[in-house]
Amino acid sequence: MAQIKNRLTPFFENITFDRDDNELVLNFGPQHPSAHGQLRLMLHLQQEQIVKAHPDVGYLHRGMEKMAENMIYNEFMPTTDRMDYIASSSNNYGFALAVEKLIGLEVPRRAKVIRMMLLEINRLMSHLFWLATTALDIGAMTVFLFAFREREYLMDIIEGYCGARLTHAAIRIGGVPLDIQDDFLHQLRTFLNKLPDNIKDYEDLLDSNRIWLMRMEEVGTISKEMALSWGCTGPMLRASGFQWDIRKEEPYELYDEVEFNVPYSDKGDNYARYRVYMQEMRETAKILYQTIAMYEACVKNDQTELMAHAPKYISAPKLDIMTQNYSLMQHFVLVTQGMRPPVGEVYVATESPKGELGFFINSQGGPYPYRLKLRAPSFWHTGILTDLLPGHYIPDVVSIIGTTNIVFGEVDR
Amino acid sequence: MRAYTPKDDVQAKAYYTDRFYVAPQVPKQDVSTDPVFAADLEAISAKFEVKESFIQVENMVIYINAKDIYAVLEFMRDSLEYTQLTEMSAIDWLAKDDTFEIFYQMLSMNKRKRTRIKFFIKNGDAVDSVEKLFRCADWSEREMFDMFGIEANNHPFMKRILMPYDWQGNPLLKTYPLEGDEFAAWYEIDKIYGKEAREAIGPEIRDTARVDRYDSERFARLGYEQPKGTKITGNEEPTVQSYQEEGGVFMVTKFDKDTSKIIDDPQR
Amino acid sequence: MAQHKVNYTQDGGLPVALTSIDKIVNWGRSNSIWALTYGLACCGIEMMASGASRFDFDRYGTIFRASPRQADVMIVAGTLTKKHAEFIKRLYDQMTEPRWVISMGSCANTGGMFNTYATVQGCDRIIPVDLYLPGCAPRPETLQYGVMLLQKKIRANSASKAQKPKRLM
Repeated sequence: MAQIKNRLTPFFENITFDRDDNELVLNFGPQHPSAHGQLRLMLHLQQEQIVKAHPDVGYLHRGMEKMAENMIYNEFMPTTDRMDYIASSSNNYGFALAVEKLIGLEVPRRAKVIRMMLLEINRLMSHLFWLATTALDIGAMTVFLFAFREREYLMDIIEGYCGARLTHAAIRIGGVPLDIQDDFLHQLRTFLNKLPDNIKDYEDLLDSNRIWLMRMEEVGTISKEMALSWGCTGPMLRASGFQWDIRKEEPYELYDEVEFNVPYSDKGDNYARYRVYMQEMRETAKILYQTIAMYEACVKNDQTELMAHAPKYISAPKLDIMTQNYSLMQHFVLVTQGMRPPVGEVYVATESPKGELGFFINSQGGPYPYRLKLRAPSFWHTGILTDLLPGHYIPDVVSIIGTTNIVFGEVDR
Repeated sequence: MRAYTPKDDVQAKAYYTDRFYVAPQVPKQDVSTDPVFAADLEAISAKFEVKESFIQVENMVIYINAKDIYAVLEFMRDSLEYTQLTEMSAIDWLAKDDTFEIFYQMLSMNKRKRTRIKFFIKNGDAVDSVEKLFRCADWSEREMFDMFGIEANNHPFMKRILMPYDWQGNPLLKTYPLEGDEFAAWYEIDKIYGKEAREAIGPEIRDTARVDRYDSERFARLGYEQPKGTKITGNEEPTVQSYQEEGGVFMVTKFDKDTSKIIDDPQR
Repeated sequence: MAQHKVNYTQDGGLPVALTSIDKIVNWGRSNSIWALTYGLACCGIEMMASGASRFDFDRYGTIFRASPRQADVMIVAGTLTKKHAEFIKRLYDQMTEPRWVISMGSCANTGGMFNTYATVQGCDRIIPVDLYLPGCAPRPETLQYGVMLLQKKIRANSASKAQKPKRLM
């Protein structure tokens, strides 16, 4: 049998040739190397200036909310990895925290410290990745190679902990599954000691680079009103003049015990966002140093608990499961049927590297969530392109998409 | 006789629930326990009808009438310092009483408080768009329309956002199966190759437990995988997958492990 | 005339190699597999990592190209959704012969964990695939190994005759 011809029509339907308004409709994506995933933009152009932008998303819609409705709570954890796949653990954590709030669970201190370490390592990974790809889009290949080099060190550390480079699933509902490995702290410290030099390298390359400044300064300015109206969060909001960080304002875990600043800027342009990201990396390093001290204090005070004790919801430690009859029964029920959280609703927001990552769970007392809504920051950071791009020129599109730091696993879910 | 499965909710169900199981409730506090929330609620209830209100997991939840939503959000934004609409979507209660529950998650950055505004609408009714107040509702309402089929009045561009424009069905309805319906199963084939190619390409394989006759076994022992059905004795010949031909490759130097340098300190 | 510093008589002899058309063409093809930047989801990040400093894809002759018209191999890295399915076919059709497809990761192979309404259950329903890489996400080492296997596959083909177009069904 011969190959069946496809019935796709030639791809001219975007362009109306006999327009009288001198406008050109340009299709960007869905597979464009600098779209950071599968973003499709329909740009209406007057000469080189954009007069109307129409972002089209959904090319990576995988039905995660639907999956959540058909999965027991623990089963959904690996799926959250694939949301913001640059920083998987922050999604794991957002989901775990939402379920913990729903069932009213207190996590042991050592687990909290480990979670904070993972979160901040993920933040660093995400910011390094952001820097690498944005710089690559703008043409700074060296920064891409540098930042990926550092990211690999962090990936090695994470890999030593959970065995995966990208999709960690390193956090469980009620704690963490494992203690950190022996050389974790040593590796982390070595990395952190080198980090300021590395960040300085990037800044030396970029900060006063003429091309970088021309592509970044006064480009993509988001005003305060626009940032609020579009629901911007995270670095996007902070670059627009709000010193708002959920870690600081509504502290979760042990963020109220650590010392860190929230960098922000009033400018709201691409360069301000770049500065915020760079400063945040330094602050993250600061937090990581403090968590190392906290972890060592935990070891000293002999706080060895890693999972919360709640037999109704959380399986007992492996040793108990293997030795005690009741724990084994409980474990069996929890694995086969799943935990049944109480009836109620919860919305929990955490500060993921991209912004406010929220999980809305409506539980009807069954082992499956009745409704789970993922509030992903990137979704609105993509939406803002509708209002942000008009007035800019074609080359600005790439740098604006770069600095909004959108990840399409999260946008489309 | 085939077991009866309800058609109005085809999502996964618990296969066993104890007869005497009573689901516990997430505790609800009275709004008066929190002075900030109490003041907000008082201001809202002075102007609009509030059906129910409580605090659950640090969020104030207020039930209002569907027709008030635009005015309530405008009032909250302008007078009560609720700066952001963080999230909005719907919950499908069609199986229970043919309604949708719509929620708007609001954040006040000055007060550091989160409030959830909720109301019910009948199936087929539309909500009032709040896109004029919060631009982010533009996309949220489109997503809600895409996933549930709830339209928003006065919305500038009421089209699907996540699914393709020519998609049929609203995926997040409880009547929509996780693995899609007949239309979803053949969507890409119909679009690219046409209906007549269905037979040649064949149906989707969605059974995760399916074993192909070409599958091999013993993935756990790399390099010793065996065809399916082989009796495993324990001393099989290794199944080597070499990346280069035996006699070497024309003009490509063969990799020699002994002469290459291995760096074993990752933190060098 | 300039004095040649290289001693051609040593180690391999004169810089002249006698071979067949098949071998020389396949040598060229297999050692300059230019890949299309087709990062769809998480696997795309690992694909970028394999192109970056640590794993350094350039030494295989694999350079990422942004245009399908310049690419030899399409690495489908990530989940192929029903909305995107049309575009993978368009891009595949734009690639010039000979062309190869590596399906990277479980999602591209079979739909993987996303057994849902929105996901194409394997990109081989749309385009013919030469190589399947397991993993979620496959490590960069897996992709490197995959490229080496693809090189072997290319070398095994006869280059002198026009290649028959690959069939999906």
